[in-house]
Amino acid sequence: MKNYIIRRILQLIPVLLGISIAIFAVLRMIPGGFASGMLGIDATPELIAQVNARYGLDQPAVTQYFQWIGGVLRGDFGQSFRSGAEILPEILTRFQVTLELTILAAVISWVIALPLGILAAVKRNKLVDRVVRVVALLGVSVPGFALSILIILVLSLAFNYYPPLNYVGLFEDPLRNLEIMFLPALILGTSMAGSVMRMTRSSVLEVLRQDFIKTVRAKGASERVAIFKHALRNAMIPIVTLIGLQMGSLLGGAVVVEQIFSLPGLGQMTLTGINNRDYPVVQGCVLFIAFVYVLVNLVVDLLYAYIDPRISYD
Amino acid sequence: MKSLRKFLAVFMALTLCLALFGGAFAEEEPSGSQVLRYGTDTWPAGYDPHTISAIAATRVFNQVYETLIGFNRDMTYRGILAESWETPDDVTYIFHLRQGVKFHNGREMTADDVVYSFQRILGQTEAGDIGALGSSESYYGGIDTIEALDDYTVQIVLKAPNAAFMSNLTSTYGAIVCREVVEENDGSLSAVDTMCGTGPFKYSESVVDNHITLVKNEDYWQEGAPILDGITYYLLADESARLAALRTGDIDLCSLSAMNLADVEGDANIQVISYQSNNYTYLGFNLSNEALQDVRVRQAMSMAVDRNMIIDYVHNGEASVSTFVAPNLGHWVWDAVNESPLYTYDVEAARALMEEAGYGEDNRLSLTMAAGLLDTIRDTAVVLQQQLKEIYIDVEITNLESGEYVDIWGIMDTPEAGFDMMCGQNGSGTDPNRAVSFFFSTTGGANVWGYSNERVDELCQLAVSTTDEAEREAYYMEAQQIIIDESPNLFFASPMEYLFASSALRGYEPYAADASIFTEAYFVR
Repeated sequence: MKNYIIRRILQLIPVLLGISIAIFAVLRMIPGGFASGMLGIDATPELIAQVNARYGLDQPAVTQYFQWIGGVLRGDFGQSFRSGAEILPEILTRFQVTLELTILAAVISWVIALPLGILAAVKRNKLVDRVVRVVALLGVSVPGFALSILIILVLSLAFNYYPPLNYVGLFEDPLRNLEIMFLPALILGTSMAGSVMRMTRSSVLEVLRQDFIKTVRAKGASERVAIFKHALRNAMIPIVTLIGLQMGSLLGGAVVVEQIFSLPGLGQMTLTGINNRDYPVVQGCVLFIAFVYVLVNLVVDLLYAYIDPRISYD
Repeated sequence: MKSLRKFLAVFMALTLCLALFGGAFAEEEPSGSQVLRYGTDTWPAGYDPHTISAIAATRVFNQVYETLIGFNRDMTYRGILAESWETPDDVTYIFHLRQGVKFHNGREMTADDVVYSFQRILGQTEAGDIGALGSSESYYGGIDTIEALDDYTVQIVLKAPNAAFMSNLTSTYGAIVCREVVEENDGSLSAVDTMCGTGPFKYSESVVDNHITLVKNEDYWQEGAPILDGITYYLLADESARLAALRTGDIDLCSLSAMNLADVEGDANIQVISYQSNNYTYLGFNLSNEALQDVRVRQAMSMAVDRNMIIDYVHNGEASVSTFVAPNLGHWVWDAVNESPLYTYDVEAARALMEEAGYGEDNRLSLTMAAGLLDTIRDTAVVLQQQLKEIYIDVEITNLESGEYVDIWGIMDTPEAGFDMMCGQNGSGTDPNRAVSFFFSTTGGANVWGYSNERVDELCQLAVSTTDEAEREAYYMEAQQIIIDESPNLFFASPMEYLFASSALRGYEPYAADASIFTEAYFVR
């Protein structure tokens, strides 16, 4: 197990290096450099050259890359071109918001999706199953931004309610923080729930058809034991994979929902960085997001062994 | 008995009057929370007033920092940090500073700070070059020397006469900053908590990408101002979210497009505050394209455009026909609408000109058009496409993203731009020098079209070298006639700006040259 983990972590290095090169190159390929964006209408070739020289953008791309990645390896993500702020501490602060949002969204999605998914599988082709399937389809297909706007409009027009605008951290004022986070988490959670519900239903259905469940039932075990103790655990692998993938991408920041609800998370930070062509910010964010993503995947892989003892990494 | 009745009637009438008027006056007293909550669509791109000019940032700078002078509603100058000024000759400006003005850190502002601020802009301070001075340089690059004659007197000498200098001083680029704050931060003002000026509100706290809180500057120099206790800017990037938050009373003020006017009609809790902007929409020609080098083609296009239709269709009727000197600039504007035949919608005449230039139904002209950023611009492009069809011109439109737009805009005089025309929106600024010379003189920083006319260059030079208003006006009038006649760009409409506010807000009357003036604003909640 230990060897497996070490091997996996070593495998992360080429992946992250590849991503760092890709994001570095892509950012420089998109039209509109940092200097022309900053100077706007007043930009002249001389001024652009002046700004580029100041931020080291006049150096060859390879030199710039090695300077940046060298800093990253020493734990120095550099400073934002725009605000001059250190990037890594800023990323870590923003990540707390995104992490909280992800956890809340995940919990909401599990609370909705797992029981309903199981219920649909057990009551296959009954009314409950049909309703659950329609709800799941809606969850999968309604985009987050549309749902966000819809909920904001309905709440403001019908109940004269708008979620608090002043962001406060979870440890500063937990109740207010939860009030701020609830709607965005609910929206993300329901979107997640759709696919988890569908996966739970089909996975449980498949397991319920297998022989060992018949054996369990034949032994006289109650339906509850058959489903929760035997079927569910065996059905969990694809569900955990899906949840892992979803959480991985959510941890990268739910850009649209964060923007609509003005949450100062990682997605918002990346977006502002892109709009300002603030290269070190975007590079730092993307690299961090990639790191979190591969880490979550590793955790998911390790969870397999826990869920299903037949899987072993030794 | 009769007299008693009369007395009672008079007494009752008086009481009634008192109650009514008394009530009315009492109602107008500030009441309820005096914190203005502003929904802003973009987060400030930075906090250094000498390098950033984007609107979301200047909105905040205008409360925290102050300049020597500013514009009144009628475009005359008013003293802010300067109480008065004199110009002994064409290149010398002497400013007498207001006494007793304090920075937010409690120290008095003196002539040294003014000198230091301009030295910083010009890259002459010990803290050194602050980077993107470019924009500041184009505003104040003409300064030869700046010195403090005494604690409250500053003398600025220019290298050459520049009539636009006073107007440039009103920009937030010319903000007076606090020397020790700059020095404590190694010359950088890019962190939010380095904002320390003399303005009516001072920085309190912020959560990046969420909100910035400013609180009342209790030591503000202007008697009785500000009335508000503070201003909090909330980032609400989504337009529907801003409108929803305004409806529920969670914000008090925000900008929204004209599209939302119908939605708030009849809502007693919301008032719409509008003012004519200094912006105008235009179609610029890439003069490296041979077909467009023919002035007849450009003139024909000008006559083929129904500007009133653009105003009705794109701006819901809430705009004015405009040239590149927006109507707001008053006496500087040449009345093209009534004076220029090119501003008369006349498809027949336009077609005749096109035929003269060798085009016809069998020989149509195909052009590509880049359209930028704003929805109104994209809609304008579509209207133009339809109207130009009538005069044998087929247009292919491409909508650009902001980075692309800036890049292509800079090379619109070359075939490498990849577009024959660009539809966009520019600002006339507050002085005709910006509107005319910056955009259309051969060396103008924003003349990206490759347009060059010797007489226009000469007129721009003459106009900027004199401070005689009447002379300047005559020069700019002539320049405008030439430019409109030669049509290196076509100009369409100057739109209204809209701010949607809580109906409890009073005393806030924005105008194009100063939309951030909150010193007299208050709430009756």
